[in-house]
Amino acid sequence: MKIDIDRSSKPWPAAIEVRDLAKTYPGDVEAVRGIDFDVVPGEVFGVLGPNGAGKSTTIGMLTSTVRPTRGTARLGGYDVARQPLAARRVSSVLFQEPAIDRMLSGRRNLEIHARLWGQDPATTSARIGEITESMGLGELVDRPAGTLSGGERRRLEIARALVSEPRVLFLDEPTVGLDPRIRHELLDLIAGLRSRSGMSILLTTHYLDEADRLCDRLAVMHQGRIVAMDSPAALRADMGDEIVELRASGPPGAVLAQLRSSGVAGNDAFTVGSTVTIPVTNGGAARTVAAVHDLELEVTAISTRTPTLDDVYLRLTGGRLTDAA
Amino acid sequence: MATIATTVPPATARRALARPVGTLAGRRFQLTARTPRELFVPLITPILFALVIAPALRAALHTGPAYESFIAVGTIGLLIPLNTMFSGLSVIVDRETGAHRELLAAPIPRSLLVVANLLVALAVTAFQVVTLIAFALARGIAFDASPSGVGWFFVSGVLFSVGMYGVAETLASRVPQQEEYIARVPAIAIVPWFLAGSLFPISALPAFLAWFARFLPLTHGLALMRYGLLGDQTGLANIWGMSNVTVMASLSLGVVAVFAAGMLAVSIRVFTRSALR
Repeated sequence: MKIDIDRSSKPWPAAIEVRDLAKTYPGDVEAVRGIDFDVVPGEVFGVLGPNGAGKSTTIGMLTSTVRPTRGTARLGGYDVARQPLAARRVSSVLFQEPAIDRMLSGRRNLEIHARLWGQDPATTSARIGEITESMGLGELVDRPAGTLSGGERRRLEIARALVSEPRVLFLDEPTVGLDPRIRHELLDLIAGLRSRSGMSILLTTHYLDEADRLCDRLAVMHQGRIVAMDSPAALRADMGDEIVELRASGPPGAVLAQLRSSGVAGNDAFTVGSTVTIPVTNGGAARTVAAVHDLELEVTAISTRTPTLDDVYLRLTGGRLTDAA
Repeated sequence: MATIATTVPPATARRALARPVGTLAGRRFQLTARTPRELFVPLITPILFALVIAPALRAALHTGPAYESFIAVGTIGLLIPLNTMFSGLSVIVDRETGAHRELLAAPIPRSLLVVANLLVALAVTAFQVVTLIAFALARGIAFDASPSGVGWFFVSGVLFSVGMYGVAETLASRVPQQEEYIARVPAIAIVPWFLAGSLFPISALPAFLAWFARFLPLTHGLALMRYGLLGDQTGLANIWGMSNVTVMASLSLGVVAVFAAGMLAVSIRVFTRSALR
C-alpha cells in the first residue's frame, strides 16, 4: 500500500534538500554535474541509473564521505558539509557492500550502532528486540554476523540502520548480488519500511522493477546529471500507452527516418542497436503496425507491448539500463 | 540585536566524547580478543630473542648477565613496533571486510576512531611488554628498577607506542591492501631496531650510522627504557654526551614525546582525509 504524500504543504523542512550539488574527482572526472532535488518526509525517492551515473557519489556526498565540489545538501535541515555530525545523526546508511563486523554477534553490531548514534541505553535493548523480531532475526541475532547467510546479513544491516530511528535512510543498491528469491524477500522488507512514519528513504538502484515497486518518485541519472524526475507512472506515461518495437534488418537510422517522414513515428521514436522503438498513444498500435507493413520496411520482427521504465531510460540516455549496469 | 552565545561545559563535552570512544575501544578490543594472532604473534620473536638468542649470544661472545638484561630491554624495542604494526593491520581488515564505512557514517568526529584504536593498541602492547618482562624474570634475567625508573620506563614506553601506532595508522590509511602494508613492516619495525642500540650500544656503529641513529625515536626510547629498568645511563650518554643524566633523559623524553604527538596528529589527519574523498 502506498502512502499519500502531500507535497503542497511542508509541515517540516524537506528531509533531503539538494541544490546544484556537484563532484569532480581529480583528473577532471565529473561524477556529478549539478543536481537538484527535494525529498519530503515519508517519501521513498529512487535514484536510477547505470554504474558510473553518479548515484554512489551522490550518496557519498549526502553521507559526508565525499566532499562536494560545489552546491549544498541538507538532511533534516542540517548542511552535510557544515554540520556533518548533525546530518549524520539523523540518517543511516545501508551500503552497497556489506559493512558489518563479522566476528561480532548481530546484537553487538546493533548495540554499537545505537551507542554511536546516541540512543538511550535504557531503551536500546527493547528496541533491538522489537526490530529484530519484526525482521525475522530474533533467533539469529546472537550468532556471529559472519555465520549468517547473505540475505540474513542484509536484513541485519537494515535492522542496524533502523535502530537509531533515522529521519533519512539511504539504501545504496540494497539488493545487488543477492539471489532472486532473497532479493524479493528483501524488497518486501524494504516495502514494509514505508509504514515507519516520517522516515524518508533514498534508494539507488539499477533494477527497474525495484524502482517501480518501491519508489514514490524517481530521478534518472545519466553521466552525472538528472535527466528526468517524476513518479514511475508519470515517467512511463511520457512513453505513451503502448510501444511498437521493430527489429531492423537494414540500417535502423534509415528505417526511423522513413517512419518519421511518412508520419508513422514522431520525434519521440528512437533507435538502440537494431531496434526501433515507437511510442504510441490512443490505442494506435494496430494502425502503426499496419502502416509499417504498408511501407515495406527492412524489418525482421515487429511487436507491441506496454511501456516500461526501461523505455524511459532508453529514450533519455540512448543506452539500455541493464546493459550498462 | 543581541547575540546569544552557547558553550558546551567542558565536562559535558568530555562525556560526549568519552562515550563513543568507549564504544569504539570496546568494539576494537572484542575484535582483537577474537583474533589471538594479534595478541600472541608479535610476542614470539621478542621472547625468542630474550630467552634463547640472548643467552646464546652471551655464551658465544663470553659476555656477562648484564648483556642478557641489555637484550631483554632491547627486545621491548622490537615488540612495540611489531605489535603496533599488527594493530594497524586490523585497520585495513576493517576497511576491506569490516564495519569501516558504517563507522565513518556515525555522528562522531572521525578522529575518535583513531583514538579508540590507539587505546586498544596501547593496552595490548602493555600486556605483551608485561608478559615479556615476566618471562625474562622467570628466566633469571635481572632488572634494577627504582620507582622513578619505572616511571621513566612507563612514560617513554607509552609515548613511543603512541608514536609507532601513529606510524601504523598512517600507513594503513595510505596503502590500499594488506599485502602492501605487510611488505613495508620490516623497513619500519625491524630495520630501525638494528640501528637503535638494541643489540649493542650505538657507539659500536660506524660514525655516520651512530650519527643517524641519534635521530631515531627508538634510540631515545630504548635509552630511556634501559635507564628506567636497568639504571643504565650509557645509551643516553651515547646520544647526548652530557654528564647530567636527568637532563639527558628529559631531552630524550622530549624527542619521544614530539614523535608521539607528531605521528598521532599526522595519523588523525591522514585518516580523516582518507575518509573524505
